[in-house]
Amino acid sequence: MEEARNVNAPHPEASPDHGSASARDARSTDTPHGDTGSTDSRSTDTPLGDTGSTDPRSTRNTGPGRLLIAVYAVFAISATARAGYQILTKFSDAPLAYLLSAFAAVVYLVATVSLAKAGSTWFKVSLVAVLVELVGVLVVGALSIFDPVAFPHETVWSLFGRGYAFIPLLLPILGLVWLYRRRPGTRPSGAQN
Amino acid sequence: MDAFFYIILVVGLLSSGICLVAGILKKAPNDITILSVAAVELALMVYLVGSIVRVIAGEPIAGEAWEFWGYLATAMLLPPAAVYWSILERTRWSNFVLAAVGVTALVMAARMNQIWY
Repeated sequence: MEEARNVNAPHPEASPDHGSASARDARSTDTPHGDTGSTDSRSTDTPLGDTGSTDPRSTRNTGPGRLLIAVYAVFAISATARAGYQILTKFSDAPLAYLLSAFAAVVYLVATVSLAKAGSTWFKVSLVAVLVELVGVLVVGALSIFDPVAFPHETVWSLFGRGYAFIPLLLPILGLVWLYRRRPGTRPSGAQN
Repeated sequence: MDAFFYIILVVGLLSSGICLVAGILKKAPNDITILSVAAVELALMVYLVGSIVRVIAGEPIAGEAWEFWGYLATAMLLPPAAVYWSILERTRWSNFVLAAVGVTALVMAARMNQIWY
């Protein structure tokens, strides 16, 4: 059952838009790393993990990706709750800031869902969501520092996410690293994960 | 900060620490890490029961009451959700997911304290 979750991903439509030479390098370095955990658990605890009967590369929902998705989920929940609270109770105070909060919440929701889904279409959705998130935290973070008068109200991204231990700044960077390492179409023939 | 917060502070940090070490040692989620997360849930239940008793006894919540209960309800959903998520694929990374529970519960408990007082 659990295995099915990992392998029921549709085959990636081998997106051709990435160079294969550099791709191969990246893959060969990250494969042993990504596998350490599952191999370990397989030998000690359970026979689960990447079984590789279909292309395990078509999913981001494995290994460290699952931690990333979990953190994104927490931010999706908290940003949604916060934006909902701000808009319902004091929207007229700062419509721009609170709409920004709502926008951030949507970005986190999209990122969470798309990272958990397999296939190269969801990969692109993830990429867009994470890039928007990165731009958002950088722009809002910078504006909240340089123009605190215009951005006096807190959002998740204010002061580069200082109110959230700077995780909002770290998250898109880790997200991009993870997406790069799991990008579709980088699996060489014959390599078993 | 009241006793409920400090209970969650201790239990949450212990749980996060245990899960973090287990993850660093490349272990998959096991009874110890899962039970430590269950302890966080238990601590939140204590907070829930205690808060209900205090409200019935007539103690007022200074902030928005529904915000307080919203935080508490959300916090109580985290441990089961994290355990579910972590046993779907039992790798060392799942222990880091479990490690996030204690710290998150701690932050939420701090916010709940702020709302209450």
